[in-house]
Amino acid sequence: MTPQHVSPKKPPNYPANMEASMVLPRQRMSPAASLAGLPYRRSNPSLHKLFESTASISGSRPNSGTVTPTPSVVSGSVFSPGGRQNGTGTPGSLPPGLSDEHRNLIHRAFVPHVAVLADADADKLIRGKGLEGGFLQLLRPFGESVPGKVTIRDSVGASKSYDDFGIRFVDGNNEAAAGRGAEPRIDTTNTPRTSSSSIRPRRTGGDVAHIEELVDRHLQYSEFNTQDMVSDYLNQGNPNVPSEGTSSPFYTLYLRRLLSGMPMVPHETFAHPVAGIIAISSQSQNPIEEFRKLYNRQHDGDLRLPQWAENDYLRYYVLIHDEENGDIAKSNQTFDAMKRHFGLHCHLLRLKSQQCIPSDDDSVRLPTCEWMPASEELAEIQKRETVDDMTDPAPYLPDSDITAIRTFVRELVAQSVIPNMERNIATLNEQVLARRRGLSGRFMSLSKRWTTFGSSRNSSSPTIGSSNSNYDSLQGFYRPDTPEAQMRKLADYCFMLRDWKLALSTYDILRTDFNNDKAWRHYAGAAEMAAMSALLSPAPLSSKTKMENIDTWIEIASYSYTDRQRSAAPYYALRTLALGLELLRLRSFSVADDAARWASRILENGLVGPIGAALFTERISACYAVRTGLGTLRLGTRRRKAAMWSVMAAETWFRLDKALQAEKCLDAALRLYGINIEHGQGGAVKLPFDQMQSFIDDLRQQILGLRLQNRGFADGEEEGEEGVGEGEQGGEVEEATEAFNSSPRLHRKSLIGAVAPLIDMNGPRSPMLERERESRGLGEEGFQ
Amino acid sequence: MSYTFTILSPTDTPLFTHEFGTSRSGGDGVPRFTATERAMNPFILHSALDIVEEVQWGTSSSSGSAAMYLKHIDKYQNNFISCWITGANVRFLLLTRPRDEALGLGSGGAGSQRGSLAGGRAGLGGNAGGVYNPTSPATEEAVKNFFVDVYEVWVKTIMNPFFHVGNGDVVKSPVFRARVAAAAKKYL
Repeated sequence: MTPQHVSPKKPPNYPANMEASMVLPRQRMSPAASLAGLPYRRSNPSLHKLFESTASISGSRPNSGTVTPTPSVVSGSVFSPGGRQNGTGTPGSLPPGLSDEHRNLIHRAFVPHVAVLADADADKLIRGKGLEGGFLQLLRPFGESVPGKVTIRDSVGASKSYDDFGIRFVDGNNEAAAGRGAEPRIDTTNTPRTSSSSIRPRRTGGDVAHIEELVDRHLQYSEFNTQDMVSDYLNQGNPNVPSEGTSSPFYTLYLRRLLSGMPMVPHETFAHPVAGIIAISSQSQNPIEEFRKLYNRQHDGDLRLPQWAENDYLRYYVLIHDEENGDIAKSNQTFDAMKRHFGLHCHLLRLKSQQCIPSDDDSVRLPTCEWMPASEELAEIQKRETVDDMTDPAPYLPDSDITAIRTFVRELVAQSVIPNMERNIATLNEQVLARRRGLSGRFMSLSKRWTTFGSSRNSSSPTIGSSNSNYDSLQGFYRPDTPEAQMRKLADYCFMLRDWKLALSTYDILRTDFNNDKAWRHYAGAAEMAAMSALLSPAPLSSKTKMENIDTWIEIASYSYTDRQRSAAPYYALRTLALGLELLRLRSFSVADDAARWASRILENGLVGPIGAALFTERISACYAVRTGLGTLRLGTRRRKAAMWSVMAAETWFRLDKALQAEKCLDAALRLYGINIEHGQGGAVKLPFDQMQSFIDDLRQQILGLRLQNRGFADGEEEGEEGVGEGEQGGEVEEATEAFNSSPRLHRKSLIGAVAPLIDMNGPRSPMLERERESRGLGEEGFQ
Repeated sequence: MSYTFTILSPTDTPLFTHEFGTSRSGGDGVPRFTATERAMNPFILHSALDIVEEVQWGTSSSSGSAAMYLKHIDKYQNNFISCWITGANVRFLLLTRPRDEALGLGSGGAGSQRGSLAGGRAGLGGNAGGVYNPTSPATEEAVKNFFVDVYEVWVKTIMNPFFHVGNGDVVKSPVFRARVAAAAKKYL
């Protein structure tokens, strides 16, 4: 039961008017023409690499032990962090049959950001190695997962080790500029931007339209790429039923891109740099002076952060030594001088300056960035599409460089960033939070509230009514030195270091404060993160009141993010709901309904475009499918709901011309229906309503038609329609469905696997089908 | 408002389906489902059975015996589902699709609402007067009266010794249909 009120969502446009949907295929161009017209269909190896890397990272991640692992279609690349994800990151019991893939994803999304600033010499040195992006590009992939275990001491002094900790390297150069125009530009008007020129490679994410387009690209690729088919074909021997815990790789990709490149905004400090790296090359004449210059530019010069961001973060000084042209004695000398001047936060990074090619002895490919924002990946895809280069453009590095960088990153994180954050947390906890929590703090906030109340009653202008609060309501932020901003920073630090308990209590206090100050977006942010930290904490949380609290928080956050007129931030609302639904889904069976409710809220509020809508429809089905029910009678199961949403998803995918996805959803739906229907012994399952049956059969036929068309069979078109036409007669229809029930892969393979140009959709010419039909005919008689 | 009424056997087989429109406030009793909605209705009704199965074992408000009338139990987008359950676990499901105006949707249509983000709340928060409310006492009472009438006819039908609900016998009697239509006209 969904308590929210009637949505204005337009009713799903089902192809019940069969004429309309049957015309659809005809409007499309002939395959040859569309092949030429669509640039992304062209597949060159480098492009393939790009798609494959993302898809394999998101798709083939092994799940926690309880899930039957799905054989990965593409074996993960050497660098894809596969085995580490076995749920060791954070302890937390998980209902069996679920993978905590998405919880890990969320853990790895909220990580400290480190700004990188390099001088011209250093960047030149790196460019000489074939990396156009300079030092930042070199570092970025290595920050995503810090090698080895990282030990973090939480606020009560207990230390825990995590092996999936990471940091995000961001550009210290244009970050300030990007930050000033920080309002994430989001239009969810359902027009995916297709013009390539409009996309600038930006390093910040938060743009739903870009995410949509990117996922669409990936979908197109999988749709039109034969490679998928081949491995499907190879899997034919053991038609493996994907377990409910796993989700479509595209959904994972969507989530990942949603969480990549968080924009820098006043109301949360996740994207604010926790530390800044200042790097210079050893070629520099006067290194110390150079460091000072860069520091000054960053601290109060042109690279300064906007005024709502804390500017006194940790600085880390790196001297890049050129192994081939530099003098190590001189570099060591400089390094000693650095240590004298700047203290411990220094590092000497020794790199080779010459370019490395793949055929070199110990060359290693620079790993792909997992967490690049959608706009950047889109730009990358477009770049590779336009270049007819058959080689993989990713730069290669000598092994020694990789080791040096890994060591550097580990040292940076383990010895500087994390201790510094821990120290910050301790200090803020003592000085700000404790004071606020104490008696005087409560009194202060109370008196503030009362005076605010009094003044707003007296003064005629309500906009400056809250003169007593620290909130700058005109510009909409707290200055970084106000207690509220510091507490938010404290809470965010706790969140990033996975100290959920302290984070939760801090967010809770902040929530009331922001509410009193009418800082709506801050309020929404605090409520959102309160809900997230409550859901992420491994402690059991079964009590009814707690769950209700979380519900309220998610509700508040999504409401305040979207609906306060002046500060609509649908991106954040989407993030709240999506993360909330994922975490709720993992929480327990009983709240799976809530998860599904939030997912449908996403659809109802129109926070996503067409691709997202399809993905989230699929997700609702997955949410319901988690509820398996109790006992032998399966009381309280939600299979029928799950099945319905799967059908919806299949239909949505079909309308988006994504035959593969549609088929997958339809298979899932039938599997769900099949389990619920008692009398189906080993195959001949019929849906209870005749209308449902015929609807599904029609959909199946249309999807098959679309599939053939996507494969480039021109003849498939009429054949497909013929199939639809015949489907209405009833007998044929049952056959098609049953074929999938008895063996989901068999039927399709017989169509697709064949290379013959003309394939009869109705199947009688295919011996496999013929055989099936016979056996089924027998089965059917027995059944009726 | 448009209604779909379905009787489902304990094994989820539909035994009887009837579509009708409201006869209240000048309605002509003709259902106004669009083709897409009509195709969706069986799915919605079928999926509501999940909720029925959960609600039917819940605590009953009436003292002693379990309630047969389960009231409004489920909602999918703009479709509201009420349920009546008989002693033999036969489920009566009534799907109500209020007119768009009754849902607070303007004539602008749902299409324009969807794209605009500000419009996200306009529909959700539009809780003002005139909006269809499935749990209002008047609605519940009307649906209950309808169900009571249908139940009476149903009991008479299953008394027929040649009719086996358990075998999934579909109700074909025109009298039954006429009675259901009459009850619908009277109360809904």
